Amino acid sequence: MKRNSFHNAAALLLTAAMTVGIFTGCGSSGGGGGGKGLKILYTTTTLDDFRNLLLEGIKSAASAEGVTLDVMEECSTVDQQVAQVKQAQEQGYDAVICLPNDPSTALQLEVVAGDMPIVFVNSKPSSDHLEADKYMYVGSKEGDAGTFQAEYVYNKLGNPSSFNALIFQGEPGHTASLGRTSAVVQYFKDKGVNANFVFNDTAYWTDTQAEERFDIFLKTNQDFDAVFCNNDTMAVGIVNAFKKHGFSTQDIPICGVDATAAGCQSIVDGGMQFTVYQSASGQGEMSVKTAIALATKGTAKGLDGLDDTGTIVWVPFEPVDASNVKNYM
Amino acid sequence: MKSKARKKKASRSVTKKRGRTRKIRDKLLGLIMPAVIVTIVVLVVISSLLTRSEMQELAVSTLEGSIANQSDNINAWLSKNLTNFSTIKQAIEGTKPDEAGLKTLLTTYVGKNSDSPNGVYVADTNGKVYIGEGADLSISKPADEQWFKEGLTRIEMAYGEPYQNADGTYVISASGIVNDGSDVLKVAAANVTLEKISIIVNSGVKMKHASSFLVNKTNYMILAHRDSSLVSSTLSASSSDPVLAGAYAKISAGDYTTDQIHGYTVAFTEVPNTNWVLVSYVANSVILQDVTRLIIILLIVGVIAVIIISILIRLIVGRVIKPLATITENIAAMSSGDFTIEVSNTSNDEIGIMGDQVDEFVGSMRNMLSSINDESVKLRRQSDNSDTVSRNMYDASQSQEEAMANLNHTVDELALAVNEIAENATTLAMVVSDTKENSDKASERMKETVEISQKGRADMEHLSVAMGEIQAANTELVDSIGKVGKASQEITEIVGMISDIAEETNLLSLNASIEAARAGDAGRGFAVVATEIGGLAKNSAESAQNISNLIEQVRALISDVVAQADASAQSIHANSELIAEAVKTFDTIFENIQSTSHVIDDMIAGISKVDEVSSNVAAISEEQAASADEILETSKNMVEQAQAITASSQDVADNSHELANTSETLTGYVQRFKITKAD
Repeated sequence: MKRNSFHNAAALLLTAAMTVGIFTGCGSSGGGGGGKGLKILYTTTTLDDFRNLLLEGIKSAASAEGVTLDVMEECSTVDQQVAQVKQAQEQGYDAVICLPNDPSTALQLEVVAGDMPIVFVNSKPSSDHLEADKYMYVGSKEGDAGTFQAEYVYNKLGNPSSFNALIFQGEPGHTASLGRTSAVVQYFKDKGVNANFVFNDTAYWTDTQAEERFDIFLKTNQDFDAVFCNNDTMAVGIVNAFKKHGFSTQDIPICGVDATAAGCQSIVDGGMQFTVYQSASGQGEMSVKTAIALATKGTAKGLDGLDDTGTIVWVPFEPVDASNVKNYM
Repeated sequence: MKSKARKKKASRSVTKKRGRTRKIRDKLLGLIMPAVIVTIVVLVVISSLLTRSEMQELAVSTLEGSIANQSDNINAWLSKNLTNFSTIKQAIEGTKPDEAGLKTLLTTYVGKNSDSPNGVYVADTNGKVYIGEGADLSISKPADEQWFKEGLTRIEMAYGEPYQNADGTYVISASGIVNDGSDVLKVAAANVTLEKISIIVNSGVKMKHASSFLVNKTNYMILAHRDSSLVSSTLSASSSDPVLAGAYAKISAGDYTTDQIHGYTVAFTEVPNTNWVLVSYVANSVILQDVTRLIIILLIVGVIAVIIISILIRLIVGRVIKPLATITENIAAMSSGDFTIEVSNTSNDEIGIMGDQVDEFVGSMRNMLSSINDESVKLRRQSDNSDTVSRNMYDASQSQEEAMANLNHTVDELALAVNEIAENATTLAMVVSDTKENSDKASERMKETVEISQKGRADMEHLSVAMGEIQAANTELVDSIGKVGKASQEITEIVGMISDIAEETNLLSLNASIEAARAGDAGRGFAVVATEIGGLAKNSAESAQNISNLIEQVRALISDVVAQADASAQSIHANSELIAEAVKTFDTIFENIQSTSHVIDDMIAGISKVDEVSSNVAAISEEQAASADEILETSKNMVEQAQAITASSQDVADNSHELANTSETLTGYVQRFKITKAD
């Protein structure tokens, strides 16, 4: 009896000590430089302004954390990306950070990766294909970008009860397009504002498409009070169209997303009024941190911005206008 | 008494215990079965809870899968048609036909798409409408049409809000600006009815008992519902159907996560590229129907399991503890004192060991009891013996005591007697001494007599010589000699008497010596002997006196004879033969006297011996008296010791009695145990 109780007590103590060890140990490894010796591979779809910024963010975060980062050649096809992930798996990388060529291929990439964790960044796969502490997503909540835009416009127009607006969406079906657009619509609906979207169509992320479609819209002879664009590129195209047609960029606010260099410059130059900064460096940093956490601890718990499902690490958007645009240039 | 009471107490406590006794099997059942039942109940509860949540999760995922599938189907159907319409629109944009050409082009698509039999139609901002030949459409003022307004907001064709057409049928139109570069904007459009979508919504549910409905989130109009009366009605918080009201709340909040609404699991999904929300729901009771069924099955299985386990436990425990029952019986028999039992052991577990140990114990107890029994029997026998012995000893010591007292008395008397003997012996010695003196005198006188007789012989011889001379006095002489003869006859008799006396004295002295040798009870006899010896001595003295008197007579007679012989010398001479005979007779007398003298000498020697003996007897008697005193002292001590022995033997008798009792008690105890089988 005595012996048993002694054993029990010992076991209890040991368990307690181990538990404490786990927590304290994990707590201490959460800091910077915790990923020393890790090998991480970055595979990305074709690069653009933002994606370049993201790449730079990932690189600097990797060097700050002391991990070995191998950046693969940008993929123009899904097959190429699958091959890269397979290679990472075969070469024993600790984790893969992936800006998917097509987020709907996530499952294929996961199958290839096997036990190796994948951190999807910027382009969100379906929630069905995300798994806590294994296949995670680091990005910004697209809806927030739309909400920030709507909020700005609502304030700029002096809290109107009704107004006409244009929306230039990104690629049809793209999560960013859908999320940003629906957030704008929802914002005014919630406010009880009769937002009349006299033009609401895709411009495929491009300035030329945006400009061209704006021209066509003008033929409808409808008034408009604001222009929402799913990205800065399209917004800059609209600014150009405004100049061409003599619209006042001061009276009619043009909003973009991403706070790209061109976008910010446009704000400085009095073209665009508002953009939302999608933190490329933030996403880069968080994607590296998440990759390290998954590779070392096997869990992303404790990371800032981790959502309730444990599958997504949100990197917040930041609203940018003339007042703070300098910070983003 | 005591032991009886104890026995009673013991038996009472045993029965008391028996009153509380429960069978091990029942106890084990009582302990195990609650645990088993609790375990099974817990298992049932856990599995039902798990199943419940699993079923709910499964239901949710099934529902979500179903709704996603429906949504995909709707989207696919819409997209297919939209692509078809867009292609037609692109053909228009690509060919940029004139009015007639446009109409011709549109006509080619009429009736080609079953979902949109009218094909694509076009209207421009000037109110001009282009409809394909054969299409069942009538559009008077396109600018007022919803599809036209919607079409002006986009270049890519997209579906607008559903609306009722002229026939009252709900349709949706896909419309978009025809980007043909002309200044007059044309909007291309095509209609699809909601019928197909209703089929997908109402019949495309991939889950049993689940239902779906489609809502336009811009105006909350129900586009499709199994209950056709609800179609085109508006969803609101005050909808009578709680699911509809709950769905409204969720949709208006933009929350499209699966939720529980009024006992229903409700899933939402936005149909891509539309403003529609597809809602799918299933009653929880339906989901949990299976859970309930499962719980019932589990409970039944649990009850059966409990029954089976209890039976198994009963059987197993019964089997396992079967030897225990025998052991218990044996122990009960043992406690009631029966040690004849034999524990047969078949199991090889602790119970088996217990049985072996009990068997060993019983064996050793049996041996021990048997030994005790034997020993106590022996003890009783011995104590009986001891009792008898001590009794005997008591008796013996008592009689010894008495005997010793007697002895004491006797010895006392003996001492007195011995003292008397000593005195008598002393007297005797003195008497004997006197006798001896007298005898010596007698001897001397006998010698004198002998000398005288010798002289007489010589005289006789002289007489014989003179005989010849005296013949005349012969006759007188013969008479005188006759008288002498007579006297000598008497002397002879006397001497015989003395001889007899001497013999008797001799015998007496022998007797006296024998008596003296017998130290004990010779005292009295000795006195008699001594008296007789005294008597004899007197007789001897008298006889000697007689002899002396006779011898005096003889001398006087002889003197007469001499005188007569002198006178009758001549006659004697004549009668020489007679004188010769007289001489001869004289010789004989002489010889007789001489032998008498010898006898007297012998007698004197005997008397000397008697003297010695009586002196010795006196000394011995004195020693005997002293010894008798010692004996008396010793016998007194012996009396004391005999008394002590009596007391001790009394004690011994008491003790051995006690011992006998104790051994009896012991035997009584031991006999309570049965150690031999009563066959």
